[in-house]
Amino acid sequence: MNAIFAVVFLLSALLFLLFDPNGFLSALLSGAQKSAVLALSLLFVYCVWLGFFKVMEQSGLSAKLSRRVYPLAKKLFRSSDQDALLLASENLSANFLGLPGAPTPLGIRAAEKFCAAKNDYAADMLFVLNATSLQLLPTTVIALRLAAGSAAPADIFLPTLISTLFSTLLGALLVRLTAKRRKK
Amino acid sequence: MTFSALLSLIVPLLFLALFLYALIKKVKLYDSFTAGVKEAVPLVLSVFPYLAAILMLSELFEQSGLSGYLTRALSPAFSALGIPPQISKLVLLKPFSGSGSTALLSEILSAYGPDSYISRCACVAYGSSETVFYISAVYFAGAHGKKLFKPVVISLAANFLAVILGCLLCRVL
Repeated sequence: MNAIFAVVFLLSALLFLLFDPNGFLSALLSGAQKSAVLALSLLFVYCVWLGFFKVMEQSGLSAKLSRRVYPLAKKLFRSSDQDALLLASENLSANFLGLPGAPTPLGIRAAEKFCAAKNDYAADMLFVLNATSLQLLPTTVIALRLAAGSAAPADIFLPTLISTLFSTLLGALLVRLTAKRRKK
Repeated sequence: MTFSALLSLIVPLLFLALFLYALIKKVKLYDSFTAGVKEAVPLVLSVFPYLAAILMLSELFEQSGLSGYLTRALSPAFSALGIPPQISKLVLLKPFSGSGSTALLSEILSAYGPDSYISRCACVAYGSSETVFYISAVYFAGAHGKKLFKPVVISLAANFLAVILGCLLCRVL
């Protein structure tokens, strides 16, 4: 990530220097402004879902679900940390259902636990599964198509589902193939 | 749209079912819910620096014209792979910026008409890829910093291949 950041940043800065020196600072500021706005909207979303998840935890539902998904999640993430696996599975289900904002707090916590346990494989897998977006219904796209006056807004459902399924499977496969062999 | 109408029932149903279940289990709902909300502020604070850096980066990427140059340079290669040149900017922008690519998608929809081949490709490209850099910022705030390269590359590659597949599917389906 450090390399990507450096390359994109330096190239952009160079272009600004050559063509539009005054635009540089304003671009940075506008990015920072967007991040403040986004952080605020994340705060709203986290308030709702973290409340929800705490109730889920204290009612014992989390523990119940955890026992259910443990065998499968254990294989997928190659981890035996029950809490982290539950968070990761909840994260994936929230992604799949397209619950707006809900996957993020779950994913962050699962990632923290995987990283703390130095389980790179699990962290990579979690990242790739999230970054290839397996979502049942592309709600944003359908809403935009509807707004643009499409005759068949849900028309793109099937091709999107197939190609996103493809990217998720491919990503997971690549993580698996590039992982170091597990010590037995 | 009935399907998505059904899906919009999910969130209220989830809350209703969980809260009823919690009441049966004698959970003090108010105490429990507020205990959860309490964690929201620290979580946002821990994510914020990474979010800020990525969004500044994506702003630079777009406004410096770098994304424009890349789009022009890569368009021929994209067309060869079956990605219409009109959507190559969207394909490049999506990993950086969710809001930017959403705006671009609605521009494409109004420019070419929502049911045109180009718009359908754009929708599939948008829907089947993710804001990879944004996710890397938020999910792995600090903890995994140095090791992010591999998963980022894998995700970008998988998403890109999915766009190619999606454009192909738009022609067939």
